[in-house]
Amino acid sequence: MAMEVTQVLLNAQSIDGTVRKHAEESLKQFQEQNLPSFLLSLSGELANDDKPVDSRKLAGLILKNALDAKEQHRKFELVQRWLSLDANVKTQIKTCLLNTLTSTVADARSTSSQVIAKVAGIELPQKQWPELIVSLLSNVHQLPAHVKQATLETLGYLCEEVSPDVVEQDHVNKILTAVVQGMNASEMNNDVRLAATRALYNALSFAQANFSNDMERDYIMRVVCEATQYAELKIRQAAFECLVSISSTYYEKLAPYMQDIYSITAKAVREDEEPVALQAIEFWSSICDEEIDILEEYGSDFTGNSDIPCFYFIKQALPALVPLLLEILLKQEEDQDQEEGAWNIAMAGGTCLGLVARTVGDDIVPLVIPFIEENIAKPDWRQREAATYAFGSILEGPSPDKLLHIVNVALSFMLSALTKDPNNHVKDTTAWTLGRIFEFLHGSTIGTPIITQANCQQIITVLLQSMKDTPNVAEKACGALYFLAQGYEDVGPSSPLTPFFQEIVQSLLTVTHREDAGESRLRTAAYETLNEVVRSSTDETAPMVLQLVPVIMMELHKTLEGQKLSSDEREKQGELQGLLCGCLQVIIQKLGSSEPTKYVFMQYADQIMGLFLRVFACRSATVHEEAMLAIGALAYAAGLDFAKYMPDFYKYLEMGLQNFEEYQVCAVTVGVVGDICRALEEKILPYCDGIMTQLLKDLSSNQLHRSVKPPIFSCFGDIALAIGENFEKYLMYAMPMLQSAADLSAHTANVDDDMTEYTNSLRNGILEAYSGIFQGFKNSPKTQLLIPYAPHILQFLDSMYMEKDMDELVMKTAIGLLGDLADTLGSNAGSLIQQSLTSKDFLNECLSSKDHMIKESAEWARLAINKAISV
Amino acid sequence: MADDSLNHHKRDPIKSSVGNVAAQRRRQNAVTVGKERRESLVRAKRLCRVGTSADGEVSSDSDMMVDEEQSILEMQTSSAVEELKSAVAYQGKGAMQKRVNALRELRRLLSRFEFPPIETALKAGAIPVLVQCLAFGSPDEQLLEAAWCLTNIAAGKQEETKALLPALPLLIAHLGEKSSSPVAEQCAWALGNVAGEGEEFRNVLLSQGALPPLARMMLPNKGSTVRTAAWALSNLIKGPDPKPATELIKVDGLLDAILRHLKRADEELTTEVAWVVVYLSALSNVATSLLVKSGVLQLLVERLATSNSLQLLIPLSSPDLSAALLSRQEAAWVLSNIAAGSVEHKQLIHSSEALALLLHLLSTSPFDIKKEVAYVLGNLCVSPTKGEGKPKLIQEHLVSLVGRGCLSGFIDLVRSADIEAARLGLQFMELVLRGMPNDEGTKLVEREDGIDAMERFQFHENEDLRNMANGLVDKYFGEDYGLDE
Repeated sequence: MAMEVTQVLLNAQSIDGTVRKHAEESLKQFQEQNLPSFLLSLSGELANDDKPVDSRKLAGLILKNALDAKEQHRKFELVQRWLSLDANVKTQIKTCLLNTLTSTVADARSTSSQVIAKVAGIELPQKQWPELIVSLLSNVHQLPAHVKQATLETLGYLCEEVSPDVVEQDHVNKILTAVVQGMNASEMNNDVRLAATRALYNALSFAQANFSNDMERDYIMRVVCEATQYAELKIRQAAFECLVSISSTYYEKLAPYMQDIYSITAKAVREDEEPVALQAIEFWSSICDEEIDILEEYGSDFTGNSDIPCFYFIKQALPALVPLLLEILLKQEEDQDQEEGAWNIAMAGGTCLGLVARTVGDDIVPLVIPFIEENIAKPDWRQREAATYAFGSILEGPSPDKLLHIVNVALSFMLSALTKDPNNHVKDTTAWTLGRIFEFLHGSTIGTPIITQANCQQIITVLLQSMKDTPNVAEKACGALYFLAQGYEDVGPSSPLTPFFQEIVQSLLTVTHREDAGESRLRTAAYETLNEVVRSSTDETAPMVLQLVPVIMMELHKTLEGQKLSSDEREKQGELQGLLCGCLQVIIQKLGSSEPTKYVFMQYADQIMGLFLRVFACRSATVHEEAMLAIGALAYAAGLDFAKYMPDFYKYLEMGLQNFEEYQVCAVTVGVVGDICRALEEKILPYCDGIMTQLLKDLSSNQLHRSVKPPIFSCFGDIALAIGENFEKYLMYAMPMLQSAADLSAHTANVDDDMTEYTNSLRNGILEAYSGIFQGFKNSPKTQLLIPYAPHILQFLDSMYMEKDMDELVMKTAIGLLGDLADTLGSNAGSLIQQSLTSKDFLNECLSSKDHMIKESAEWARLAINKAISV
Repeated sequence: MADDSLNHHKRDPIKSSVGNVAAQRRRQNAVTVGKERRESLVRAKRLCRVGTSADGEVSSDSDMMVDEEQSILEMQTSSAVEELKSAVAYQGKGAMQKRVNALRELRRLLSRFEFPPIETALKAGAIPVLVQCLAFGSPDEQLLEAAWCLTNIAAGKQEETKALLPALPLLIAHLGEKSSSPVAEQCAWALGNVAGEGEEFRNVLLSQGALPPLARMMLPNKGSTVRTAAWALSNLIKGPDPKPATELIKVDGLLDAILRHLKRADEELTTEVAWVVVYLSALSNVATSLLVKSGVLQLLVERLATSNSLQLLIPLSSPDLSAALLSRQEAAWVLSNIAAGSVEHKQLIHSSEALALLLHLLSTSPFDIKKEVAYVLGNLCVSPTKGEGKPKLIQEHLVSLVGRGCLSGFIDLVRSADIEAARLGLQFMELVLRGMPNDEGTKLVEREDGIDAMERFQFHENEDLRNMANGLVDKYFGEDYGLDE
């Protein structure tokens, strides 16, 4: 049945486009005409040592892609397709794959390893291919080195591919034994050791039981620590990656090893090559992550404690760890600030120092201050920069009281450094540090303000001056201004920034027009800072914000003038339009929030909407996310008047709802539908058929990212609130969807935090939908249409109550829905509620809640229920 | 494929670009704002409903409240007002949430108890600070809570209502189109309470311009807004001065809006709107003319007809029924006001389809309605007279009505224990006896057992009715009547 495919596979990699295209076509045809034969041919090609390595690699790659895909729905299809293949065909393919592991050609072995893991990922959960692991491990220690390496690599991929619960403990033990032996010093072959170390990285999540056993854990830890000392760099790097993974997966088991790990990592940070040193620093950052999480849980009075106790490793390591980190801050690279995405030891060190400060708080301050004082004025720029960077890194974590004194001393020094220091890096880090000062130590929550009438003028002058500096420094100066403005968001009727408002806005607009504003994300920073300045402004400056409207509109208009654009230019145009629409969004929100300014602003509404529609029209298949967000703000400001824009806008709304791929666009559009519902109320009715159709399609799609689904349910609620009993015709579609989603969300076992969070957001969406529908139907003669759904809803509430895993928000929405149900259905609901299992307990629990939002909803629900029962 | 390193994630550097964080925050903010608006909409809807039913509600759960000693309650109220004062003075972070929380607490105290501590709140100085909370540009949630507090204070005794005077201009200002509908509704509600307190208050509200914005709230189709506005308006135009009613009917689009709302299925809504029509037609001739011309009559009739059929559908015990009854009764009352008007109005009703329905209702509907209908029919047969003396007959109407069999319905009323109804019945019988051509009246009355009905009054305790009935019997069925005597 297999066919000769070598030449086609080679042609498919030809430099000649025509040849390549032709070959790709024939491969596609072959696959469509006879899939089993196609797959067999590929696996035969991969296994055949007489074939050229290039055709073998491509054969393996095509096989792999026939088993897995990125998109969930495609992946599901491929899994089903493989499972439904003839058993004999599958056996032949798998035999070929396993045979390839013994090949002398490394690329063939490696490719086959990955394909085997993909097949295992499909078959093991189905309890198929039970002999795989045993056969891989049967005589692993007697194998030639290259086969041993391939076997270990396969095991590594396999652990990455399948979930721990489908592999029995006995097999896990065997895998770990083989892997750890492969890492051992007694193993002389470096390739085998590297494959084993990388395999361990993936196998760690399988080792829960083994890490609970002191003997086994000691053994694994010893082997990993030894591996960090091997001569081969890649092995050392992989071994440190294992340590990083262990630090988060098995944090609570680490205490006995911390002393050794500190020595190993400190040595690596100081002496080893960069890739290894970076992983060694990452180990400490990862420990900080763990302890920050645990201490945060300690702090929240929700449960009072965490499942995992805090071992305060960072606090204990502090006297040694902080000097180590400060030392490496001096290892800067020359151009790191101009390079986007740069990452080196100094940057990792500062990042880790920031995490340490957040973990231990005040304790870090006395350890860092001497370093700052000693280095901040040194002639070597590296010392000045490192001192500034250290200062900026520790501003989050310690209490403001602990920092205020030094910050007040440092502030004027920093302002002068920002203008006078000859070194670009120093200025960059200084501006960033000023931003950190304003972010964490300036604002209405800070008792003694660090920005006073005396220094405000100087601060602003310096920042505006620095916006004329090189793009990287100017970008950081914008950032500092951003946080400066943010600190005044609650300042009250009069803001200290008012006298400078005009000048600030003008300077920011000038920055956006700089020739080099595309570098270091300067233009983005300038617009976002402008947004924050506007958002935090007070009524005093409202006239100036109003003047900004035509200015930004003109900018947006200019982006629409361009002639034919290259794809590169088009991307830039889209980006700029995004920034301008974002700016308009903030301005609309600001001006729309008070009557007098809204009134004046609305004179521009027609023109602005016209511009937004033209921004949409620039693109063929997608809608502009930022323009969509801005339209949401405009709808709220315009209220009923927004109706006149709907005929032109509707098609883009629909397009946004259809955008499965860019799910954020879809999510934003769903939000805008809600805004429009609230603005238009019943006037949205003519568009509801289309919108509901699209939303229902979205819900039933398995292509759409799951995070968009809860907001879609909430959106049902928005629509029902707006159109009331007119929602009737959608009941037969929406209700079954809600019911099945409710069933799904009621019985999700607590897999992990992410899942619990998602489940709660899904529940909230469902509850909001029901509430909206019931409220919408209230007082209409059609309320009886809802009666049949009441029992299921009450069961849903029962089951959630019994699971005891609702968060506060869900609880509030749920008790509110119980009230809505009683309120709308009256006596019809009364008896159902009385019969329900837990309604009464649930109500009582909510009535005695400490959360006043829950309590208030519950009090209302009690009234509604009493009324329903007494009728 | 097999990379050089494993899939380790790269950490975000602590020194990052502000653009990344800012854009994320801005989007997050847009989502949060949307959620807050939904939340406040949902809450506002629930809050208003609690309010509407509060009167009936308090008793059913008063058991929950008894244990709150009055003195404790007063203490809580004073401190809630103090808390509000300091929240209003505070300008720092979270100021707005602080104000809203303080308002909510005060509102809860003012709405939860059978005897809300209004006096205490006033003594503690609640009004000036609540007025401050109504300042322009305040967030909706704050406006809503403040207006709600004021609503509950206005529902108190007259001198307590009076304390609200300083708040009226702002409450009226927030009725405007620029306000969100929950806020406007709550303000309308507070104003309705004030207007309900008496003529003096109505005049103040009218002079401050409350009528036009309330009238404009009637124009859109939003059920709850229209309902509240209609209720407040019916309090506002209650009279005795007819000018407000005339002013109201002349508001652009109002008449159309009334017609539109009366066509809607929402019984509560049509009831409130019907009340407005009641006062309009009762007080203002201008309004009555416009109403009649607009076909409101036709609508009210349709309303009666549909309610009539609803009766068949809804089981007797349903609360919807009483709502329906109420609505029909008001509709009939409007007709009777119109029927008590000029001869032209009467001719209009007489020639409309309403007549058949009225006749049907007279024989089939419950007593209350029967009485209203009888009043309309009776009025149709007479024209207004100046001074004392018997009303002038419109014989044409009388003959046609009697010809269509309405007499027995009136005679039923004569038999009722309700003095007003009996009087109506007797009056109509008098018309029949006096006005039917060829002395047909006596025969008709006798055939319908009218004599028997009248004789029940022979020794009736009500002198007036006794004399009326005896007079009629003596005059038309006395010594010289027929062959029996």
